[in-house]
Amino acid sequence: MSSPVPQVRSRMPRVAERAVERARLTVVPRTRGQAARMPFVALVTLVLLGGVVGLLLFNTSMQQSSFAATALEGQATTLAARQQSLEMDLDRLRDPQRIAAAAQQLGMVQACGPAFVRLGSGAVSGRPCAADGSVPFRITPPPPAKPAALDPAPTVVHVTAPPPVSAGDSGDTNGEAAGTGEGQGRNDHKNQQHLQQQQQQQQQTRR
Amino acid sequence: MRQPRAPRGSRRGSPQLRLRVGFVVIAMTLSVFGARLVQLQGLDPNSYAAMAAAEGLVKVDLPAERGDILDRNGKPLAGSIDGLMVVADPAMTAERAPELARFLYQRLDVDYVTTLNRLREQGSRFEYIARRVPATKATEVVDAAERRGFEGLDTRRDPLRDYPAGDVAANLVGFMGTDEPLAGLERTFDGLLAGTDGSARYEVGGGNRIPLGESTVTDPVDGQDLRTTLDLDLQWYTQRVLGQTVEGARGDSGFAVVMDSRTGELLAVADYPTFDANDPTSSPKADLGSRAMQDVYEPGSVEKVLTVSSLIDLGLVTPRTRIVVPPQLQREDRPINDWFPHGTIHLTLAGVIAKSSNIGTVLAADKFEQGQLYDYLRDFGLGRRTDIGVRGETQGLLPDGSAWTHQMQDRIAFGQSLSVNGVQMAAAVNTIANDGVRVSPSLVQGEATTGDGDVVGTDTTTKRRVISTGAAHDTARMMERVVDPDVGVAPGAAVPGYRVAGKTGTAQRVGEECGCYDGTFTVSFAGFAPADDPRFTIYVVVQNPRNGGGGGSVGGPAFAKIMSYALQRYGVPPTDTKPSRLPVEW
Repeated sequence: MSSPVPQVRSRMPRVAERAVERARLTVVPRTRGQAARMPFVALVTLVLLGGVVGLLLFNTSMQQSSFAATALEGQATTLAARQQSLEMDLDRLRDPQRIAAAAQQLGMVQACGPAFVRLGSGAVSGRPCAADGSVPFRITPPPPAKPAALDPAPTVVHVTAPPPVSAGDSGDTNGEAAGTGEGQGRNDHKNQQHLQQQQQQQQQTRR
Repeated sequence: MRQPRAPRGSRRGSPQLRLRVGFVVIAMTLSVFGARLVQLQGLDPNSYAAMAAAEGLVKVDLPAERGDILDRNGKPLAGSIDGLMVVADPAMTAERAPELARFLYQRLDVDYVTTLNRLREQGSRFEYIARRVPATKATEVVDAAERRGFEGLDTRRDPLRDYPAGDVAANLVGFMGTDEPLAGLERTFDGLLAGTDGSARYEVGGGNRIPLGESTVTDPVDGQDLRTTLDLDLQWYTQRVLGQTVEGARGDSGFAVVMDSRTGELLAVADYPTFDANDPTSSPKADLGSRAMQDVYEPGSVEKVLTVSSLIDLGLVTPRTRIVVPPQLQREDRPINDWFPHGTIHLTLAGVIAKSSNIGTVLAADKFEQGQLYDYLRDFGLGRRTDIGVRGETQGLLPDGSAWTHQMQDRIAFGQSLSVNGVQMAAAVNTIANDGVRVSPSLVQGEATTGDGDVVGTDTTTKRRVISTGAAHDTARMMERVVDPDVGVAPGAAVPGYRVAGKTGTAQRVGEECGCYDGTFTVSFAGFAPADDPRFTIYVVVQNPRNGGGGGSVGGPAFAKIMSYALQRYGVPPTDTKPSRLPVEW
């Protein structure tokens, strides 16, 4: 052991030796007093409580964000659908057929031929000419042919023209009558022509 | 001094006993767990899984979005949008059916009577009211109906394919049926366009996804876009000009092909009559395909430019070769006539082309040795498919071997007795425009794989020299004489200010019933401009015109209109060089 101990022992008086001996055998009192329980229990309770409350809050917030996610997803779907619809509208508006129809409505006509102006020199290449719309440009198909039931064969009525009536009181009524007849005949003829034209057109389209 | 305490647990029995009891309790509990585990996992796992699934587990299909079909500038020819179907439960709607039918008729563009009948269908719980309605519109209508107190309407997913330009390029793009593509590019490239649907499984409570609950998501793979080489605006213009031309000539049908001379890209492939891709069922079935690719016909005099360019390439003739053209040429089996009556005339080879003389061409073609013309025509791409990705393309008919007789060669030399498809012929004529190099035509930009596994597109373009540059230039100069107002047969095809090279064709047509020439004609015009530096090759064909017109008077003006538009649209200025002045007579 360490060296100072024998020195101390040697300096001690003999009488005290026994007492010292006894004192040695005594059970050493517990120096560590029992720790207070309160703080520990409080700490554990606090931790447990904090954990439970925290978990609850965490769960609640997750639920809340889940609600928000569902709502936002719904909104995103709606907006995506809306965007697609609008894009479809846009494509419809960009349809060359629509643009051409709108242009024709504004009175625009086809250019007569390509010609170019060189901006640097101002030189013109190609043969420029005025677009006068003399060449018709049809952008819509011809109307569909009528079914036969709606477009019957023309009824041809031959009307012989009456001989010219000489001027006279007795002939007036006859003349009028003849005139009317003739008029009807002409009308018929016109109708017939019209119908024939229609029929021709119809045949064309059928072909 | 405190008395030491009695040992702990003296009242609880000995530690060993306690341990034993504890172990027994734990063992019992664990064996209960184990038994339950075996019961759950070993004996009947599926029924429990199903029960769990039924309890709030939701499975949702995540549909892949179908790719768009685009033109060369990215404008859509076909696009997909979110669609919904509106369905009704007649058990709930029957009561106020007339009122609801009226409401739906006003909002959804449906037939009133049909809707009314469906709304009060007896014994049914599910009826379609409207299909493929844009999602926004469908939800709007159903919400509005609910606000008015109507019950029993619902929506379901129903993808909607939209063709914004209607009939533009419809013959190539094709269309969709209820569930699958039925025609055209839609069907050929379905594998590329369709994509793969995904799915999601998750637990819900009260309509919301449960956080930390089970959740598996397989993301859908959207279809890819298909970008074509077509130019939407040019395609539209070509279709309208073609329509007007066919109607004006009172023809059966027609088609027009516009090709970029240098790259072989098809800028427009128009067919007439055509159909509205948004409503294909209202058109006859015969109009739903692409006539430019699927019909065979005899090209007629347009083919003469292939014959004479081959002759020039062989060094057998020049544009100034003098030919004596008799009024009629007696050949083995039948006499050959020209389309115009004439006595014996003296034409140069350029004159033979400018006047489109059959006799002159046959006399020049006599210089071929056996098999030479066949090889050239084959190199020009006749008799084999162009494989641009259009379904049902015909390969045409080029007689070979024993079928190639001398009489046959006479007729083939001016374009009869062989059959082609429109794009094939356009590519052949384009060979002359492209300095004698045939560039394979293409319809798809980049590359794409067809349903049959062929890879097509501009990336797979092949170039092959067929005739020499000199022969191509000589032929182009002769073709310029065709549109000359003084000596040519197609002055109507001229584009003012530009050098235009072209060739008319008026071919006898084989009728479907008799399988013989039935007195009807196929008239056509093929050409390119500017003649000395071609940018576009255009081929217009009209079947069976009844106005008595030929290739020059029917096809020529249509060619000129389309060419003018293309030159203007792509900003191609005139070359301002001297036009061809080759002599036509001697």
